[in-house]
Amino acid sequence: MNDLYVTCEDIISDIDFKTVRDWKDRTGGKAVGYFPVYAPAEIIHAAGMLPVGLAGAGDRLDIQHADARFGSFICSIVKTTLELGMTDHLAAFDALLFTSICDSARNLCYVMQRNFPEKYVDFLHLPHNPSSPAAAEFLASEYRRLSARLEELGGEPYDEVAVLHAIESFNENRALTRSLCDWRAERPHLMKASELYALVRAGNYLPVEQHTEMLVAAGAEFEGRAAKARDSIRVVVEGAFCEQPPIDVVRIIEQAGCYVVDDDLTIGRRWFTEDISTDGDPMMALAQAYLDKSVYSSVRHDFRKPRSQGLVEKVRNRKADAVIMLVAKFCEPAYFDYVLFKQELEKEGIPHLLIEFEEKLFTFENLRMEVETFAESLLFA
Amino acid sequence: MRFAAGVDVGSTQTKAAIVEQNAGPVAFAIVDTGASVTRAAENAFNVACREASLQPADVGFVVGTGYGRYKIAFGNAQMTEISCHARGAHALFPNTRTVIDMGGQDSKAISVDDNGHVLDFVMNDKCAAGTGRFLANAAEVLGLGLAEFGALSAKATHPVKITTVCTVFVESDILSYLALGKKPEDIVRGVHLAIAKRTVSLARRVPLEPSVTLTGGVSRNEGMVAALEEVLGVPLQVSPQAHFAGALGAALHALDRVDASFESGVWRTAV
Repeated sequence: MNDLYVTCEDIISDIDFKTVRDWKDRTGGKAVGYFPVYAPAEIIHAAGMLPVGLAGAGDRLDIQHADARFGSFICSIVKTTLELGMTDHLAAFDALLFTSICDSARNLCYVMQRNFPEKYVDFLHLPHNPSSPAAAEFLASEYRRLSARLEELGGEPYDEVAVLHAIESFNENRALTRSLCDWRAERPHLMKASELYALVRAGNYLPVEQHTEMLVAAGAEFEGRAAKARDSIRVVVEGAFCEQPPIDVVRIIEQAGCYVVDDDLTIGRRWFTEDISTDGDPMMALAQAYLDKSVYSSVRHDFRKPRSQGLVEKVRNRKADAVIMLVAKFCEPAYFDYVLFKQELEKEGIPHLLIEFEEKLFTFENLRMEVETFAESLLFA
Repeated sequence: MRFAAGVDVGSTQTKAAIVEQNAGPVAFAIVDTGASVTRAAENAFNVACREASLQPADVGFVVGTGYGRYKIAFGNAQMTEISCHARGAHALFPNTRTVIDMGGQDSKAISVDDNGHVLDFVMNDKCAAGTGRFLANAAEVLGLGLAEFGALSAKATHPVKITTVCTVFVESDILSYLALGKKPEDIVRGVHLAIAKRTVSLARRVPLEPSVTLTGGVSRNEGMVAALEEVLGVPLQVSPQAHFAGALGAALHALDRVDASFESGVWRTAV
């Protein structure tokens, strides 16, 4: 494997957050960890702080504290994120930010507040009704509140130009990510899903400029690749937008006879379908983009367009043969949507397979058999 | 090449089947899997070749299946036991629409089309309930051999209610009933019914449509077959070759590829 992807895998599996500590040592700045799925990283960046996308602890941490604080029906990422805190792995973070993606995540915010009073822990209210004329102003006011709190924490005072520059930096990063995703959909035999996943997710732990350089380097390297395509089915992987599967699960899906032509793994890193405007009030631009330029997602309600329609469009646009619903155990948003997705996929005649994962999975044989059977049922029908 | 083979490396036993073009199955073989999956696969294949009076080189294509499918050194391709049981069950009973496969370590329900292709499937999850392992444990607690355990079920007059389908905790249930003086046959029947209910619940997650064919090693347990039929309310199709269904299905998939231009391993990465 190319050194770049080894580096990315090391970064995404590091629960000591070395990249964050190094950045703090180098700059003297503060780090803000945000729980998935989406957070306005531009505002944190413009305050001179490092926005870091948290994603639980994977299989790197045994749970010894969180089980005593949460019920057994709570998903892994909520528990391991608390466990990270209880075991001092979040010491590098000066602030933690949560949004309204599900009940467990919402409550995790206040559990964190109680357990870590020395940190600034906040809950950002993202609007649930994008059709409301007040939604954009409401969200912009939330962003201004966040900006003011970051300033109180020692961040740079709000500066419109700094936010606009941050938007430009993140626009560039997201555009590169989108183009790599497009490239992969065209030539999935040349870019492994696990490589793209590690590459994109690594951006959660790095300054945006540094990550953008990695994306550029990766793009150049991919262009030079050549390989023979296997006889595999083209699948869209959907459902792991918050808790992330072990990277071996992503590998097994491909090994088992699938080309992943699109997915929603770490979807927060390509949350917008196009660039955010850099004209006018940047807080309003960020808010308006959240309402009108976001990807469809199980954690963002939009009555103007059903999410199931978004999934079918993705399947059609990517010329996928099938959908693999890859859902974290106890993930309510994903399971609620699965019902709607299943109905729509069946109406459209799109084959689908549901597989469930947890952060901690060490044997994958059943999962491999399920995906292989699914691929065989389509390849040899 | 007129011959193709399937080798099904199961957790307990390894099965092999050889099929001939336009003639169907010509030989079956079964050996204990033991510690070496690779050796068991070779043994089963060689025994089947001898049975069919063939040299291994006479067999044009070999598909490996079962949990040890990637360890078969001589296989040309691998397919899952779900795809193979579906195909094998359809070959044994062409009217099959649902396959219940009960093996040593897991159980599966498979919905198939009228060509034996998989439409949908479901597997038991991280639990031995509904598997041969569960029945073997229960038989052991009662001091019975597996054959005896299956046959005894028919003598039951007042089956007990087993409250758990947990392989570990069923032992306490059985011991409690023995302490209460319940007859072994009533306990055995209770165990079979508990597993049958669990298995049918699993099968109802795929369209459970008739005709239903039972495959896998547990199909040889007559008590289990009777309990499943009682819970399902329909007769089960059970072939004397039911435990070879995976190997037979693999052989038939192999036969499809004997003459086709097929590049080994092109559709997935071997592990």
